[in-house]
Amino acid sequence: MNGIHRKGFAALAVLGFTVTFAAQASAQQLKAPDDIKTTLRLLVQVSNDFKRQITNKNFARVPHEFMEYTEAADAVRTAMKGESADLKAKVEPRLKAAVAAYQKVSDMSAKETDVDKLMAEHAKAVTAMNALFDLFPAALRPDPNLPPPGRGRGRG
Amino acid sequence: MRPRLFTSARLSRRTLLVGCLAVPSSVIQCTRRQPSEQRVADLAIESDGDFLAFRPDELTCASGTLVTLTFHHRGKFLSARHNWVLVLPGQLEAVDKSVEHNEGIIPTDDPRVIAWTPMCDKGGMVMTRFTAPARGDYPFFCSTPGHGECMQGVLHVTA
Repeated sequence: MNGIHRKGFAALAVLGFTVTFAAQASAQQLKAPDDIKTTLRLLVQVSNDFKRQITNKNFARVPHEFMEYTEAADAVRTAMKGESADLKAKVEPRLKAAVAAYQKVSDMSAKETDVDKLMAEHAKAVTAMNALFDLFPAALRPDPNLPPPGRGRGRG
Repeated sequence: MRPRLFTSARLSRRTLLVGCLAVPSSVIQCTRRQPSEQRVADLAIESDGDFLAFRPDELTCASGTLVTLTFHHRGKFLSARHNWVLVLPGQLEAVDKSVEHNEGIIPTDDPRVIAWTPMCDKGGMVMTRFTAPARGDYPFFCSTPGHGECMQGVLHVTA
């Protein structure tokens, strides 16, 4: 049994090492991985801003957050400038889909004051955004569970 | 001769006027001397690029110091505006909430607010000057709606 366990652990270790190495290697293939990582984090930040404005019932601010989301999307495009045409061709439709999903939340906030309904629409937008993140190596994908960088950490 | 007298009369009126102004100005200069004896400190703080965080998020100065604080908005991509607002201990959330529906603009007569800068656009710099309060830890934050929940810090005022 011990031998089997040892072999199992060894196989897991090799697999873990391979996955980590592969993620790092593919991140290194990108021309500007740091810029891409930063701009993807900006998308998450603005998405969280949407959530805060909705839960605080500050609906008038939601269109402003959408404007910031489009700016963050443009920042992603700028960061992607030097990347391969193949990757850009994959990223653009998903980025557009994410922007469209957040626009839907913004448009809805003009009439809808039901926080639950708006949050449900926001959850759909987050799914669209995550589909965009899936195109990038794991090392560059923002962790949605990480607290924001500020000292306040979003007050939970 | 008459014009000369007239000139001298004008001169004496001018002298009188200068004399009248000299008394209050010397009084003003006296009152200005006191702040010059006050300890002074320059503090600098900035946004963490476009992210909702201050860098650094802790500042320190001595009580009674005349502080000149400069805030630099280091954002490049987002049009979000930021500012720096220093409030009494335990008042951050209440002040943040009270300006939430007013674009985060701080009213000039809020007794919970010690000092604040105007709102600042990306790449810009704003400044405020204040006398450091009594010893203690004072929270500061950005009052743009939604930012205060993350973008905050502490000013440690020492004795």
